[in-house]
Amino acid sequence: MAIQAYFLPETVDEAVSLLAEYGPDLLVMAGGTLAMPLINEGVSMPAMVMGLRRAGLDGVGESNGRLAIGATATMTQMLAQDAVPMLREAARAVGGWAVRNMATVGGNLFAPPPSGDFAVALLALDAEVHLLSQSGARTIPLEEFYTGFMTTALQPGELVTGFHVPRPTGRTVYLKAGRKHANTPAVVTVAAQVVMDNGTVTDARIALNAVGPHPMRARSAEAALIGQPLDEAAIHAAAEAAMQESQPFTDAIASEWYRRRMTGVTVRRALTQLAS
Amino acid sequence: MTAKIVSFNLNGRDVDVMVKPLTTLQKLLREDLGYTAVKIGCKQGGCGSCTVLVDGEPMMSCLLPVEDVAGRRVTTLEGLAQGDELHPVQEAFFENYAIQCGYCSPGMIMVSTALLEHNAHPSREEIVEALSGNICRCTGYEPIIRAVSTAAERMNGNGSR
Repeated sequence: MAIQAYFLPETVDEAVSLLAEYGPDLLVMAGGTLAMPLINEGVSMPAMVMGLRRAGLDGVGESNGRLAIGATATMTQMLAQDAVPMLREAARAVGGWAVRNMATVGGNLFAPPPSGDFAVALLALDAEVHLLSQSGARTIPLEEFYTGFMTTALQPGELVTGFHVPRPTGRTVYLKAGRKHANTPAVVTVAAQVVMDNGTVTDARIALNAVGPHPMRARSAEAALIGQPLDEAAIHAAAEAAMQESQPFTDAIASEWYRRRMTGVTVRRALTQLAS
Repeated sequence: MTAKIVSFNLNGRDVDVMVKPLTTLQKLLREDLGYTAVKIGCKQGGCGSCTVLVDGEPMMSCLLPVEDVAGRRVTTLEGLAQGDELHPVQEAFFENYAIQCGYCSPGMIMVSTALLEHNAHPSREEIVEALSGNICRCTGYEPIIRAVSTAAERMNGNGSR
C-alpha cells in the first residue's frame, strides 16, 4: 500500500494535534535517517508519515546554566555548540557528514543498538526529555524514557519535543570502540561523568551503548567507583562490573563475546583517561 | 493519495514539481527529471552515492522527501560545471585518475566541493573524515584524497597544512 499522506507541520501544536488525530497510523519522522531506509526497503509501510523538519523544534540554546536542545536539532548543530564538549564528541561519533546534517538528537532515542551513540552521552549527562501531547507536557529523566528494546515510555499521542542537559559538574569522557576510525557502528560506546572531591569519587555516571537493548547506565560499575580514589584498582573493579552487567549481542559488527571484552577494555581506557 | 506541487531551486533554476507523498529527492531527480549523476546505491543513507547539496550542505537524497526541500537550494553534480568548463574539483578528479568505475564519483565530488567551501585547506585527516560517508567499492580512495588536495591548492592557492 502506498503512503497516503505526508504531513509537514509548521508548529509543534500542529504536530501534536496530527498525532492525536491519527494516532498509531502516523509514523513520526525527523531527519529520516532511521525511518526512510525502512520505508525504502518496504520493511516499514506506514499509511501516513509526519515529518518534523519544519515544526520549529530545532533550537539550541542555554538557559539557567543548562543546555536546551530541540528534538530536531541535528548532529551538525551539536558539533557547533560549545556548552557541553562531550556532546560534540558524541555527535562526531554518529554517521558521516551527510547523515549528521540530517540525523537529529530526538531521533537518536529511537535508534536501535548499536546505534544510539548520541543518546548514550545524554544519559551520562543526566539529560531530561520533554514530552508533549494534547493533554499536556511532562519532563522525565532520559533513563526512564527507555523501557526495553525499541520500546519507550512515550504515551499514545506524545511527541519528544526537546531536552535539558545540565552543565556537567564532573569530568567527562566519551570513548567509542568501532571497526573503523570514522563513520562506524559501535562495538561498544562509553560515556562517563565522574565527580571528585579531595581525590575521592563522590558521584559517577557510566553509560554504555551497543551492549544492551538501549543505551543504559552501568550501575554496579558506578558503585564500584564511589568513595574510592580514581586509581587502578577502582578502575579495574568498575571495568569488571561493567562487563558483568553489560548485555551484549552478536551482529555483523561484533560478537557478544567481543563486545563484552571490549566493554571492559573501553571502560578502563575511558576512566584511565579521566584519571590522568 | 494526493500529489503536491513543490517548488525549489535546482542547480540555479527554480523548478515546480508534482510529487506523491514522501517521494524521495533521489527518485525525483534521477527518474523523473533525468539528473542521473544522482546514483542509487543502498537507499539506506549508507553509501553516499546519492549525495546532493541542500543549501550547500551534503545530504543523502535517498533519505530526503522532496517536500522537505521546498524553498531550498539543491545542487547536483550537473550543477557544478560552467558550460563546457569543469568545476576545479571535477578537473582534479579527472587528472588524478580518482575515478575507477565512476559510480561513487558524483557523491564524492559533491562532498568534496562542500568541504572546500567550508574549509579552504583541509588536512588529509579532514578530507578522510569528510568523505567517510561515501563508499568507493573499487577502493580507489587514495587518488580521491589526492584529488581533493589538488583541488584545494588550485582553488585556494598553495597553503595546504
